[in-house]
Amino acid sequence: MSAGPGTAGAAGASTPQDVDDLRELHRELRDVARDMLRKTAGRTGDDEAPVPVDWSLLAGSGWLGLEVPEELDGAGATFAEVAVVLHEIGRAAASSGYLGSAVLGVGALRLLEPGAGRDELLAAVAAGEQRLAVALPAGDDVTIPFHVRPATPGDAPGAGGGARVDGTAGFVLDAAEADQLLLVALDPTGVPVVVRVRPDDPGVTVTGQPVVDETRSLGAVTVDGAVVDAGSVWQFGTDPQESVRRLLDRAALAVACDCLGLAEAMLEATVDYAGTRRQFGRPIGSFQAVKHACADMFVRISVGRELLAAGVAAVASDDPQAGVAVSRAKSYVCVAAVDVAGRAMQLHGGIGYTWEGGVHVYLKRALLGRALFGAPAAHRARLAARFAEPADDPLTE
Amino acid sequence: MNTSTEDLAEFRAEVRRWCREHVPADWRRAQTVAGDAEFVAFQQAWFQELRTGGYAVPHWPAEWGGGMPAAQQVVLYQELAAHDAPRLVLGFVSIHHAASTLLAAGTDEQRARHLPAILDGEIWVQGFSEPEAGSDLAGLRTTARREGDGFVVDGQKLWASGAAHADWCLLLARTDPAAPKRRGISYFLMDMRSPGLDVRPVRNAAGESHFCEIFLNGVVIPAENLVGPVNQGWQVAQATLSAERGMTMLELAERLGNAGFRWLVEACRGPAPGGGRLVDDPRVQDRLAELETEIAGLRALCLGLVERHEAGTAGPADASVVKLYYSELLQRTMDFAVEVAGLPAHTELRKPASSGWESGAWVLDFIGSWEWTIPGGTSEIQRTIIGERGLGLPREPVVPA
Ligand SMILES: Cc1cc2nc3c(=O)[nH]c(=O)nc-3n(C[C@H](O)[C@H](O)[C@H](O)COP(=O)(O)OP(=O)(O)OC[C@H]3O[C@@H](n4cnc5c(N)ncnc54)[C@H](O)[C@@H]3O)c2cc1C
Repeated sequence: MSAGPGTAGAAGASTPQDVDDLRELHRELRDVARDMLRKTAGRTGDDEAPVPVDWSLLAGSGWLGLEVPEELDGAGATFAEVAVVLHEIGRAAASSGYLGSAVLGVGALRLLEPGAGRDELLAAVAAGEQRLAVALPAGDDVTIPFHVRPATPGDAPGAGGGARVDGTAGFVLDAAEADQLLLVALDPTGVPVVVRVRPDDPGVTVTGQPVVDETRSLGAVTVDGAVVDAGSVWQFGTDPQESVRRLLDRAALAVACDCLGLAEAMLEATVDYAGTRRQFGRPIGSFQAVKHACADMFVRISVGRELLAAGVAAVASDDPQAGVAVSRAKSYVCVAAVDVAGRAMQLHGGIGYTWEGGVHVYLKRALLGRALFGAPAAHRARLAARFAEPADDPLTE
Repeated sequence: MNTSTEDLAEFRAEVRRWCREHVPADWRRAQTVAGDAEFVAFQQAWFQELRTGGYAVPHWPAEWGGGMPAAQQVVLYQELAAHDAPRLVLGFVSIHHAASTLLAAGTDEQRARHLPAILDGEIWVQGFSEPEAGSDLAGLRTTARREGDGFVVDGQKLWASGAAHADWCLLLARTDPAAPKRRGISYFLMDMRSPGLDVRPVRNAAGESHFCEIFLNGVVIPAENLVGPVNQGWQVAQATLSAERGMTMLELAERLGNAGFRWLVEACRGPAPGGGRLVDDPRVQDRLAELETEIAGLRALCLGLVERHEAGTAGPADASVVKLYYSELLQRTMDFAVEVAGLPAHTELRKPASSGWESGAWVLDFIGSWEWTIPGGTSEIQRTIIGERGLGLPREPVVPA
């Protein structure tokens, strides 16, 4: 993909001037995002469940098309800019369909061979007219969940020339709100492809899967003999296996961005609270137990931020070795986020354990984030697999 | 005392028989969807069931219906946990904190009035903490003014667990505002039906409303409901707090070992994502073995504490060691359970009422573990107690009591 003129994609930042421009651009993007999310995120409805950020605000912000090429009315930016938005969404623990559409949806489409149908959809996503969800493995098991084969007249009347899809995927992000679903599927020769279906197509069922973290929307997608036209089965542009892996890496890293943001928010809230809450006639932050716990949180976040930056740079520049940086970032940051949010709960005392206090929202989101797209142990196992054999991938770089 | 190996084996067989006959079938499902009234009714019925079996208050002195040797109590709690018996949640403060306070510092009249009533289902709440007095409990501001042959109480209590269902409250209030913080507090038994009392539930992190605010507006407490001498309430409270920190742990440790940990192992025997079983993964094996070892240590620690407590040889920080270790081990164990159980664990949106701290709804169980690391003296405060009272280290530079 080309970062168009005037935009500074991370991949294109090579001179010191470029790097400065990029920093400035990210700072602006971050400030705008933080401001908007402060005003809109965190609202709850009558049932006390979080109200998602208004979709028209997301569409108007231009964030949905950050990675969509400019000729398709996107911003022509890279994952580095998407990461800034994800980080802010995490900080606000915002409920939004951003991940499903703008991160996974756009990410999947960009890995496909260019074509009219794909480009049309990218443009529609950038404009906020179509919302996407990508049904890919969400846990530790990365088996591709769908199968596609040529349809026969037995599958559906007039199905000749079309394709039949079967399979089921759980914990699909933002599935319930999606206008279109992109299914990662294997063709009869075992090659991964992407199949586009609509939730109301015959044979397609989307069932909401409520989770403890109320800020996320997850759904199970079941496809039982759905028949699509041949134009809805899309090939990956380059090595299909590799493309699926990159899509999974992007998903894992996106969650890590969110987790770093929420950990930062928890540290800030805790430091604020420790400075104002008084016991024994003094601010609790003056007690070493509290102060040192905050310091530990800060150290964890500082390390996590560096690992995350390395992952983001690798994914944004399509580095073939990105998986290493991604697994480091995902495993470290997501563990740290749970620990930081848990510490925040502890250091807030009784208030930390109330619903109103809101720390629980972050802890639950961190826990879900830790499990999504590979638990820490799964990512560490992937890293460890490199230790067994001398390989071209150097352990230090 | 019947604690020889054969006697214990016989006792175990007896408890097992009893459990098989009395633990209600399928109570978990019913309690998962139970409303408040059903929860209370179920808890009351189960308490009476245990009482009839002689198992409700084994830790009480024999003259009040207890007197079971510690070694037998361990067996009892092991079997109750292993048979997945409901826990006494509603009566927890009644049978532990209220009873230990009355036994340690109550008058004969107070004991005669309340201990049998507790056996009949009287429910107690602990009204110690206040908005400005949590870790610094001695900083409490609720006042009790002497008036005629009673006291008039004004103020606010916070985080009172189970206050909405309580008949009586263990109340700390300031009777001498001029005295140093710990020398101006008195300990009262307060009737929750008293006029001037307003209880408001506070929603907790798990979405439930167990703890409450209690607003006290000119509540009259008769002088006969004072526990211990006026202005000696802090000393009396130490008895209650030490019960919370130590003696209650015997049952909880056996729960963790015989229910929570067993289920965790069972869960790990299930299929792993991507094939095989979780329990065949060396990383999972290693963590399970580590947790099992820690739980074994905890259980021994608890039994030792109970025995030393009975012999009057418990050290000043022993209860804190147990409370700190239990609460953080519970948290670590639940954290691991959440991790190995993966995404499906996040779809468990309710845990059964009346269950242990580990119910198998791991995400909620993990969140719930802060109900042990925060109340009753936070982990930070416990570490300070262990350092100062246990090890004799110099005191933190806090404002003098
Ligand atoms: C689920 C739950 C149930 C409860 N049930 C009851 C009940 O039934 N009855 C009742 O009376 N109370 C109850 N409590 C209150 C509980 O005992 C207090 O929350 C607890 O003592 C902490 O006080 P706090 O909330 O004011 O926190 P704070 O005292 O404000 O503490 C905030 C943080 O500062 C730390 N801190 C404070 N002082 C120090 C220090 N000197 N050194 C180091 N660290 C320090 C604490 O460890 C904590 O991490 C309950 C609380 C919870 C969460």
